[in-house]
Amino acid sequence: MLPEFTLSRPADIDEVLRELNADVVPYAGGTELLLAMKMGLLVPSGLVDLKRIPALREISASESAIVIGAGATHDEVARHELIQAHAPLLVQVEQNVGNARVRSQGTIGGNLCFAEPRSDLLALLAAFDATVLLRSVRGDRTLAMAEFVLGPYWTDRAEDELLVSVAIPRPCPTGAYVKLQVTERPTVGVAAVRTAAGRCRVVVGSVTEVPLVVAGASWDDIDADGIVAQVEPVSDIAGSAEYKKHITGVYVRRAVALARDGAV
Amino acid sequence: MTEREHGVVGRSVQRRDLLEKVTGAAVYAVDVEPSGTLHAKVVRSSYAHAQLVRIDAEAALAMPGVVAVVTAEDIKDLFPRFGHIVADHYILATGKVRYYGEPVALVVAETLAAASDAAAQVEVHYSELPAVMSAADALAPSAPLVHDEAFVVSPDESFTAMAATPTADEVLERDNVAHEVTLGWGDVDAALASAHLVVSNEGMKFPMLYAYAMEPYNAVATYTDHQLDVISTAQHPFMVRTDLARIFDLPLSRVRVQVPYLGGGYGSKSYTKVEPLAAVGSWATGRPVKLVLDVEEAIYTTRADSAEVNVRTAFDADGTILARDIEMILDSGAYADNSPLVVAKAANRSFGPYRVPNLRVRGRSVYTNTSPASSYRGFGAPQGSFAGEINLDKAADLLGIDSAELRRRNLVGPGEEILPGKRGLDADLRADLELLVGSLRRDASNAQSSGIGYALTASDAGAFPVSTAHVRLQTDGSVVVLSGSTEMGQGSRSALAQIAAEELGVELIAVSVSQSDTATVAYERTTGASRTTTLTGLALQRACADARAKAADMAAEVFGWPVETIQPAPGGVLGPEEKFVGFGEVIMRWFGAAAGEITGVGLVRRDGATQKMPPFWECGIVGVEVSVEPDTGQVDVRQLVTVADVGFAINPHAVEGQDLGAATQGLGAALFEELVYEGPQLVNPNVVDYRVPRMRDVPAKIDTIIVERRDGIGPYGAKGAGEGALNPMTAAVAIAVGRATGKWPTRVPLTPERVWRLLNDLPDDS
Ligand SMILES: Cc1cc2nc3c(=O)[nH]c(=O)nc-3n(C[C@H](O)[C@H](O)[C@H](O)COP(=O)(O)OP(=O)(O)OC[C@H]3O[C@@H](n4cnc5c(N)ncnc54)[C@H](O)[C@@H]3O)c2cc1C
Repeated sequence: MLPEFTLSRPADIDEVLRELNADVVPYAGGTELLLAMKMGLLVPSGLVDLKRIPALREISASESAIVIGAGATHDEVARHELIQAHAPLLVQVEQNVGNARVRSQGTIGGNLCFAEPRSDLLALLAAFDATVLLRSVRGDRTLAMAEFVLGPYWTDRAEDELLVSVAIPRPCPTGAYVKLQVTERPTVGVAAVRTAAGRCRVVVGSVTEVPLVVAGASWDDIDADGIVAQVEPVSDIAGSAEYKKHITGVYVRRAVALARDGAV
Repeated sequence: MTEREHGVVGRSVQRRDLLEKVTGAAVYAVDVEPSGTLHAKVVRSSYAHAQLVRIDAEAALAMPGVVAVVTAEDIKDLFPRFGHIVADHYILATGKVRYYGEPVALVVAETLAAASDAAAQVEVHYSELPAVMSAADALAPSAPLVHDEAFVVSPDESFTAMAATPTADEVLERDNVAHEVTLGWGDVDAALASAHLVVSNEGMKFPMLYAYAMEPYNAVATYTDHQLDVISTAQHPFMVRTDLARIFDLPLSRVRVQVPYLGGGYGSKSYTKVEPLAAVGSWATGRPVKLVLDVEEAIYTTRADSAEVNVRTAFDADGTILARDIEMILDSGAYADNSPLVVAKAANRSFGPYRVPNLRVRGRSVYTNTSPASSYRGFGAPQGSFAGEINLDKAADLLGIDSAELRRRNLVGPGEEILPGKRGLDADLRADLELLVGSLRRDASNAQSSGIGYALTASDAGAFPVSTAHVRLQTDGSVVVLSGSTEMGQGSRSALAQIAAEELGVELIAVSVSQSDTATVAYERTTGASRTTTLTGLALQRACADARAKAADMAAEVFGWPVETIQPAPGGVLGPEEKFVGFGEVIMRWFGAAAGEITGVGLVRRDGATQKMPPFWECGIVGVEVSVEPDTGQVDVRQLVTVADVGFAINPHAVEGQDLGAATQGLGAALFEELVYEGPQLVNPNVVDYRVPRMRDVPAKIDTIIVERRDGIGPYGAKGAGEGALNPMTAAVAIAVGRATGKWPTRVPLTPERVWRLLNDLPDDS
């Protein structure tokens, strides 16, 4: 059961920023946070509900980027016309996150800030060269995905910082994302995209502590066996290390084959 | 045709509970909270096996809102155990703990938060003992004993045969075998020695399962001056009442167990679970106490027996079975609960609905320091059929006979005995098999890496036939049905209403059904073994007949008609010259006022139609087509076909729902579900890591075939449904995977990794 905590429901971002500290944390969909609290893994004294801040849920496009508010849920991202028009691969991935409840409650910001390694978005957004915008009373910071995600459940976000939005540079890369999902979370997820600059990029996620990025001038430069040699999975309920390594190779080849054929 | 014969039964009427459940208005036990209720939290063992040295509750008791901390010491003057077969189950661990998660103390407080906080402050000092975490460990010579003492078995006729009964003067050499059954006839060794072919499958492993009822176990108990009221999630309220009465030494009449809607049971809520805990909490504090388990606690409360099975079958050159030799070991966890019955049923169901002239089955239910196993939909049938049915397909290949043909040659025919001296088979399995295989083959893809598998089971179902029902005819001709059978989502409320409406000739809308309150409804032994439609239905038919007869007697009296001239008629009686009088008018005339009622009573026992055991055979007839991805081992189920051999479908839509639900649940064990122990604890006691089937796992083609041959003893020839389609599912899927990969699986669930290992001949020691 949930330990006791205070709950505040600010209406704008500034108010949130004034409240955040080591003990008072953002609360978005709660799909990770509340579970962690029920299990006693996190015991914040206060939660700051982000759900009533419309600005955090906005999705917009500029000449140079698509900007997704951190508070947008997986469903909202998947259904948004801008995303459907400019990032169909993201739509496909969002439609296959977890289960219906997680998609309608969980937010893109919560996914990134929790930094659970078994995440589709960590890998896909890295493939997209996305950046995150962090804000605190001290000011704003923009970080690349690789700078933001430091390890399992570990990001560069300071305790007083709020993730405001994620920006995907335009044109958004196209390609493919494939995953093996035996339990509720992905075991291995692989994105293969062709970037705006014409580079071929493969990102392996979930099976690694942080997404592994490999790139080349052509798809033939992607060495699946080399990637397999680099991943060091742990054996767990979703599979043995041996199997996960094998599957990584299978999915890298599949993703590349799909991306080579165009995919979305 | 059947629709013309009957008015109300045989139709897919709308479920009684539909709107309430869809709108969320339906009340479940978890919703009930009498005023003044205290909340309880269980302090659980953190060891698999340990001596309890001391429980220090002072710090917890000093916390705000805490009213009591109940331990074994506090209840030692009560009868501190429960268990309907062997009363070996301590309400609160006494002397030692036998599994991780076992209740050690109960903290009772003003709020759940206070109880939970305080539970964390109860200090339990243990002295660890060596644990047996698997059946193999438990059976090893000089293994530590899970139970040092033996308890006497319940004197109930239906259970005495089920458990090893230590008599007072018999000195048993103690071991970890909770119960052993042997079953057989003929000379198996001779048949094996002289057979044309002997096919064996060794070490076939079936996993520990969680039934995953959406509503976890919960109860609220109120103990006042010699009266105990409990509202809980019990499938069998009358059985729970017996356990509770014994604990407090109360008359049965002073224990009231009520069960509102049940959020799923699947066997896991049969027999006593959390009711004693809530009850001792209330007894200790004098206030209502509510206890609601979370999913993790529920998983540690009951699971299905895991099993390891060896099977050998001897064949003639033409595929005739000459003998079967089966050995099964069930890991039953720390307490017997219903496992003695499960292993007995597992033995009965292990060799399939085939003619087996020489049979030897040995089944052992073994105590281990794991969470206690008990009933789970299917009762031991899936465990045995997984091994037994693969064995037949393997044999079919070796004999060069089509696997359907091999089964056809050996299937027991209608009326033929499966178990000597028991009821003959009340089904036509050969005809059912044709329907099954016809549907599967018609839509077969015949693609590479795809395969079809089908399997058959016959379960001695219905449990022990003790059922009663009451109907109360009202002055306006409407009808109240009282039954102790629990509505747990299976739709019994609708089926019973249909039967009463049919029998009394009243509109369905005029019938109400009240269920599962030991103080007000009619006695029902259990809600399980797919029995309600058949046995409660039979009792209800008899109650209706009794009410009609009483109405006729009363009409004879008030109208001065000779009783023999009175005929039954829809909604009333026909007197001389076809004069119709409705039930309501009969009642009012007889009582001489616009008041009164007629109560009809229907009783079922081992007599007449229900003399022979089992009351009916519940057959499982299912098949699937799967395709396997060779590089990942992922299995995709493309077709699911079930045949519901139910005699007569009182509510066809509900029958389809039962079969689809059962088959889907069976898909879980076949492909995904497995509770995994690592050391003393489960690695996946939650529904994120314990993967149950989802919508997307349900195959594109589902064919739920219903056959009605009116061959059951239930109303209109009905037999039960509910477990049937689950029982052979694991086998069918494993056979299909075997056909798709060319290798016979030895273990389920067939996770992608297992299938990949199977394909690549890699060891599977996970
Ligand atoms: C059963 C299940 C299955 C799942 N399956 C998948 C899957 O298949 N693929 C996948 O990619 N993911 C999966 N997930 C993860 C899911 O995407 C995340 O749980 C969800 O997106 C988290 O968002 P939330 O809004 O619920 O976060 P919360 O639980 O509210 O928060 C998570 C953490 O992030 C912090 N936080 C939240 N928002 C912000 C912010 N704006 N700024 C700073 N900190 C913030 C919170 O303080 C907390 O520490 C699954 C999760 C579950 C429970």
